[in-house]
Amino acid sequence: MNRQVFWEKLKSTLHNTWEFIVLFHHGTFVDKRMAVVRKEAFDINDNLMLLLFGDYLGVPNPMSYYMLELLPYVANDLEPWERRIQNRKFLIAEKAAQYDFD
Amino acid sequence: MRRFTFFGGKGGTGKTSCAAAYALSLASKGTRTLVVSTDPAHSLADAFGKPIGFETALLRENLWGLEIDAEVEAKKYMKVIQEKVLDLVSAAIVEEIKRQIEIAYMSPGAEEAAIFDKFVELMESAGTTYDAIVFDTAPTGHTLRLLTLPEILETWIEHLIEKRRKAMHLMKMAARYDSVLADKIKEDPIIETLSARKEKFALARRYLTDSALSGFFFVLNAEKLPILETARAVELLGKHGVHVGGMVINKVIPPEAGAFFEKRRSAQEGYLADINSRFSSFVRVELPLLDSDIQGVEQLEMMVPLLGALDASGE
Repeated sequence: MNRQVFWEKLKSTLHNTWEFIVLFHHGTFVDKRMAVVRKEAFDINDNLMLLLFGDYLGVPNPMSYYMLELLPYVANDLEPWERRIQNRKFLIAEKAAQYDFD
Repeated sequence: MRRFTFFGGKGGTGKTSCAAAYALSLASKGTRTLVVSTDPAHSLADAFGKPIGFETALLRENLWGLEIDAEVEAKKYMKVIQEKVLDLVSAAIVEEIKRQIEIAYMSPGAEEAAIFDKFVELMESAGTTYDAIVFDTAPTGHTLRLLTLPEILETWIEHLIEKRRKAMHLMKMAARYDSVLADKIKEDPIIETLSARKEKFALARRYLTDSALSGFFFVLNAEKLPILETARAVELLGKHGVHVGGMVINKVIPPEAGAFFEKRRSAQEGYLADINSRFSSFVRVELPLLDSDIQGVEQLEMMVPLLGALDASGE
């Protein structure tokens, strides 16, 4: 009986330790890197939106007519994107922030 | 058999009459023919002396007519999009989206794009609904733009797809530890939509550059300006790989025209010689100047035997 309790305890301790290691590793090495990747992905996407819907900001687009068919899929992102893109000030500062120099 | 025949050239040279007469000649041979006007200022109905609109109209046995209306096509297109928006988007921003659609509708190039869409749709229907389509095109500049549009836009859209792919690739990397994001990007309607659009351009290009399927005929008069414009257009089409089938030299003054035309006729001889040397590699057909303008099916039919030589160039 005692033996079984011991094994159960050991098992849960090992499990907790392993989880701690995984989370620690993720937090220390992965998460920040992934945040960089994520940011980069969203930046590229914002630039793409500029190519697709630049005419809303006054940048002419040779085929804004065809871009309409994308509208249903991006409509929800359109307003935040406009805000983001109009708030851009320093490209260098933006890039530097990505690499987290602290 | 040639499936798409285009008649183009400078304004006022007789494109519409030639296109109409050629369509008649195809139809009388039992070919199911559609004659389409892509010129925003339509005159096809006037040539046939029958009403033709933006819906296909039966003109006679085996012959249908259509005048593309950019506004109607654009409205149809926007309606489909609006319905989709209503399905996918929260009610709060629907009004905003409707405004955006209005803006795009007013933007330069919208009319052109709408005509092009219909143009591709018609080309797809050839071979099933119709055996042949004869296009009565707008004056040169407009038409060259229409025919070279797919090549330009295809490259552009390729870059867009490339960029989206890159973003999606990075997002997938980031989503490995983020199940919310992973769910969001499972499928990408943006790449799908762009790819479908690109496919359409590629298809149009394949049709237009296939010399077995398409032929472009220039209608010109034996005068200086039409000759020069035609020479430039031939060069440009060649650059974009569109096959030039031949030339129709319209309104050639016959010898029996009389003393008043004698001087013009001698100048015309020079221009005809110029045409023959410049365009020696193409089929050339000469149509005489008539004592009245061509109107209605009966008079068009008189032109039919003269245009017979155009068919030979398709082979």
